[in-house]
Amino acid sequence: MNIPEGILVSKTHEWVLEDDNGSTIGLTPWALEQLGDVVFVELPEIGTTFSKGETFGTIESVKAASEMYMPVGGEIVEINESLINSPELLNEDAFSNWLIKVKADNFQEDSSELLEYNDYQDEVQ
Amino acid sequence: MVVKEEIEAKKTILYDEHIKLGAKMVPFGGWLMPVQYEGIIKEHNASRNSAGLFDVSHMGEIFIKGIDATDFLNSITPADISALKPASAVYTQLPNETGGVVDDLIIYNSRGIIENIDYLIVINASRIKEDVEFMQNKAKKFDVEVINKSDDFAMVALQGPKAKYVIEKIGVNLDLQPSFFTFKNAKLNDIPCLLTRTGYTGEDGFEIILDNKNAKKLWTDILSYKDEFNIHPAGLGARDTLRLEAGLPLYGHELNENTTPIESSLGNFVPENKTAQYSAKDFILGQKTGKIPLRRKLLPFIMQDRQIAREGYEVYIEGKLCGKVTSGAPSITLGKNIGFCMIEFSSLEDNLVSILNNSKENIGMDIQIMVRNKLYNAKITKKPFVKKNYEK
Repeated sequence: MNIPEGILVSKTHEWVLEDDNGSTIGLTPWALEQLGDVVFVELPEIGTTFSKGETFGTIESVKAASEMYMPVGGEIVEINESLINSPELLNEDAFSNWLIKVKADNFQEDSSELLEYNDYQDEVQ
Repeated sequence: MVVKEEIEAKKTILYDEHIKLGAKMVPFGGWLMPVQYEGIIKEHNASRNSAGLFDVSHMGEIFIKGIDATDFLNSITPADISALKPASAVYTQLPNETGGVVDDLIIYNSRGIIENIDYLIVINASRIKEDVEFMQNKAKKFDVEVINKSDDFAMVALQGPKAKYVIEKIGVNLDLQPSFFTFKNAKLNDIPCLLTRTGYTGEDGFEIILDNKNAKKLWTDILSYKDEFNIHPAGLGARDTLRLEAGLPLYGHELNENTTPIESSLGNFVPENKTAQYSAKDFILGQKTGKIPLRRKLLPFIMQDRQIAREGYEVYIEGKLCGKVTSGAPSITLGKNIGFCMIEFSSLEDNLVSILNNSKENIGMDIQIMVRNKLYNAKITKKPFVKKNYEK
């Protein structure tokens, strides 16, 4: 599993990678390990807009359902369709199996409280 | 997503083994227990197809001793204890004065098996305090002692179609193994234990009760056959999905102090021909024979799409809120989402109640479950969800 360079992570375990095409959002390997076998993912409709910290979807393991929160606010431009039928992919590689792509409203401001991946790792371990 | 913090709880004697095996530990019934090792799906499938090994040392053990032991137990449970032979076991409940359930339990007639002890009772970890208090209070009218031995014993469950071959390897030949719902004294690799043919998975298998000091050796001895029999250590996560598929109730979910065994759909465990009196017998039997109406009923359901129903979700029939999900999960064996719900009859019209009350007519009936503010279809079915695989 390759850790993408430059990712930032929220306190609620969502990672975000900002590049020229927008923001790609996923869940950290640590969070997925805590969840265990993922059996269901519910993702938002393309075109919906969420602000930073808002619930954008649900992830369910065998045991429980958890909500996922926007690390930055913006409009949903793409969802990872392959996760609808194969949610277990998330347990295999948490970075290549991203959840949503977002056109961020104000990435600079929204991302100011996010952690760099190494600092996040130190915090959860 | 938010990850819950762990809370301080008691450790079983096998705690270090779980950590070594990479278990994720969670608090359950006052104990820190393994919820999973490699993953619930793997552990679930191993228990269905080969063998799962569970630490269930959190369960409580009660000894009953005295000349009134049989009469005493007969007076506190719907089961006919006078018909329970030595070395046999029965699943039953502990009803309170209004027919609600204090706990569900397995009673073992231990005469001739545990020295000077008439009965062994295995109870839920979360109910030890309530059960002991309840029983000791009821015991005042009898010449009987209720002794809480929960801290003295470890308990390990080996469940699945390969379990009997593992037990054969470590000391008890197939033809000498206890049959379904019986038990015996045994030596497993020289470790003295009670070998019981019971479980909570719907599979053939054993629950092994032994002194704490021997538990680690038995656990590692069984796991030394891991590769030969595909034994997986299995946690509470798999235990829950297995028992749900088998249609077995979990106290605090399908059973509680305000609901009778009949309302919790356990009528099969309430004999009508028992002569002895017990708490709320007339009420419970009245419900079983249809003379007293049920106030609510536990019903199994299958979701009709991919949404998973979870405990506490609201249940609707014909647009009316009428109950809650008591347990819900993906069925790993069926590949569908299943659960139990408690339907409150007071919120429904009489014609619907009469259909729900009829175990033939209610099958296939449509209900809706509220998942994140949207209603999704489910159908009433019958239990078990997955056929039981007991060796009888």
